[in-house]
Amino acid sequence: MDALTITLDAVCLASRIILENGGETYRAEETVERMCHGLKVPQVDVLALPTGLMLTLETDEGNTITRIVRVRNRTINLDRIDRCNDISRHVAEGKMNAEDALKELKSIQQMKPIGQWGMVPASALSAAFFTVMLGGTWLDFAVSFVCGAVVQLVMPPLSRHRVPTLISSMLAGAQVTLLALLGTLVFANVHVEPIIAGAIMPLLPGLATTNAVRDTLRGDLVSGGARIIEAILCAVMLAAGIGLMLSMWGGVGL
Amino acid sequence: MSIGVQLLACFCAALAFSVLMNQPRSTVPVSALIAVAGYGLFILLGQGVTAYFLATILIGLSCEICARLMKRTATLFFTGAIVPLVPGVGLYNTMRYVVEGQYAKAVSTGVITILAICGIALAVTITSVLFSSFTSRKKKPC
Repeated sequence: MDALTITLDAVCLASRIILENGGETYRAEETVERMCHGLKVPQVDVLALPTGLMLTLETDEGNTITRIVRVRNRTINLDRIDRCNDISRHVAEGKMNAEDALKELKSIQQMKPIGQWGMVPASALSAAFFTVMLGGTWLDFAVSFVCGAVVQLVMPPLSRHRVPTLISSMLAGAQVTLLALLGTLVFANVHVEPIIAGAIMPLLPGLATTNAVRDTLRGDLVSGGARIIEAILCAVMLAAGIGLMLSMWGGVGL
Repeated sequence: MSIGVQLLACFCAALAFSVLMNQPRSTVPVSALIAVAGYGLFILLGQGVTAYFLATILIGLSCEICARLMKRTATLFFTGAIVPLVPGVGLYNTMRYVVEGQYAKAVSTGVITILAICGIALAVTITSVLFSSFTSRKKKPC
């Protein structure tokens, strides 16, 4: 592989990691520009979108090379973004060459997230403590704990089977509501409001909303608009799931 | 539940949420503390739309300051810190009123929820504009 291919691979991978793990699009663009600056690429143009990235490099001989990166799976993993930022900073300052950067970035991509058995308790505890924060009792805490755990058990298989995110948000909303309502059958004095509100708080698209605002501010109107729509649809589908389950429960007449 | 218990629960919830988002370890307790400060201010100001705005301003400023102190990006802190302010109660109540057929209440709750989100978004805008224009005056290492 010649040096230019390695450079291209490294910058593409860096921006891919940022876009796939919940980074802003301007961060992906800035990363490419800074890394190319550090690697002495004379000219680079990049356009990042939430769903993909296009970049063109110009070589010393005046040839241009273009590459398109398609981003399909988007999750949130802030640790990867943080590490990727470190590498791009090192490259930009000229402390790291393209080959080492590519190696490091590959290891970031293979880095395991905390894993299912760490995610389930984290999700359960955050749902449960949000319930208490919103004025729930310790009994509500227990019910909400179950809601949060079950959501985290159900969501990863759904995304593995490529169920669209919007459908899985609706299912999550419905599922939280169902479990909270079942809780009222089992225990006499369970408060539905703090349980459902607490359990959906980790599911609402907070990061997508703030990213949307930041992208729009930077003048990335396409990315900003796309992210705003994504956030709105996600919240609406979650609400639809809750409403559907509440009305079905009311219709059954329990 | 007393405010102390609520704030403690807020801390634990933000902590667990940060772990869920795979935040780097060193930023997790910091962002949970910022979350508590923001939610405390939110309760103190009476939980209205203005409270959402001002609490987010506090959270945004603290995140930007911590980001500069710890040499990380502000987003890492912000994700965990803002989550207690996400209007989950408003969303749930709106849907409950819709299902119960109380449309007037549903609309008013829904509008307040949307305004709360707008307040948060506006505060995010203001803090990040403030800090990006503040730092761009200094030389960037790039």
